[in-house]
Amino acid sequence: MDPHAQYLAQIAHGDKQALAALYRVLEKPVFRFIQSRLNDPFESSDLLHDVFMEVWRSAGRFEGRSKVQTWIFGIAYRKVIDVHRKRGRVKVTDDIPEVVDDDANTEACLAAGQEAEHVRHCVGTLKDDHRSAISLAFFEDMTYGEIAEVTGVPEGTIKTRIYHAKKLLLRCLSGLVDRGVPA
Amino acid sequence: MTREEIGALLPFLANETLTGDERTRVETAVADDPALQQELQALRAIRATMQAEDSYSPAEIGLARLLRDVEKEVPQKRIHRPWVWQSIAAALLVAVVAQTLLTQRTADPGGYQLAGEDAAFVVGFSLDAREGDIRALLLDAGVMIVGGPSALGLYELAPIDGLSADSAGAILAASDLVESIDLPEED
Repeated sequence: MDPHAQYLAQIAHGDKQALAALYRVLEKPVFRFIQSRLNDPFESSDLLHDVFMEVWRSAGRFEGRSKVQTWIFGIAYRKVIDVHRKRGRVKVTDDIPEVVDDDANTEACLAAGQEAEHVRHCVGTLKDDHRSAISLAFFEDMTYGEIAEVTGVPEGTIKTRIYHAKKLLLRCLSGLVDRGVPA
Repeated sequence: MTREEIGALLPFLANETLTGDERTRVETAVADDPALQQELQALRAIRATMQAEDSYSPAEIGLARLLRDVEKEVPQKRIHRPWVWQSIAAALLVAVVAQTLLTQRTADPGGYQLAGEDAAFVVGFSLDAREGDIRALLLDAGVMIVGGPSALGLYELAPIDGLSADSAGAILAASDLVESIDLPEED
């Protein structure tokens, strides 16, 4: 049973308190997701506002084919793409990133993976579609099926994105440790 | 399952969302491979670090803004047929007549006339406060006027549905436009 479905049904009937309740539950993760892709807290706040305005306007059209949370993250995902398009930054392709064949030093990755500064830096170096996939998997603990729904691509594409994103992330962390970069 | 497929599913073992046959196969592969075990540990550490980060979010301020804008949209979104407007006009007329009768029976010249909502604050604005500035402050604080002005020029305010009175009170108290702020008098 989707814990947020009842809120959405009430919102569809104009219940502002249900909107407030849903906002309180989801604003932080949705904002974090937007912020991870825009890296601008003011623009992210505006976009979060737009997302929940759309929830308010479109609640009646929600068909229940996905979880409410997935549906809302999908709205956020598309709005970020619109922002990137306006900035001329969008690149909706799945090119294979240049990953050198040798494996990352996983012991170093384990150490670096515990340093917030290092993790933040390395997630920030990922391309937008890789960063989205990693953020949804590790911040929101979504399944690859849910990430596919949010981003509107096949599950196989998400597995490929995650595979390359993970490789780049581990390589970046390993590199920081190898170069002795302090956390 | 190829090593690449296992590598693609490893993050989903790390976030505990992998289920069924896929989970069994990935777990079996990890159990036989020390390199995958280390990679899984590293992924779990990354996930834990990401989730432990305490990030800013707009929280109640964002909610006040949202409800303010939703309030503006309500007439266009929910009510658009002429007969609905006629019904509302009729209902308002009945309410105004009823309130007038009630006020005539119970009014206290020094007190406040409530508009149906429980007030959270009684506020006096500075004499030189402009209407536009007061309106902006009320929107920022996420409150609406539910009574007043009294003979002393005091207004009763209540938070918009779903908003916290505490955060509204803090915004009002911090404003130069507000000369006094108090809880409403008990009957």
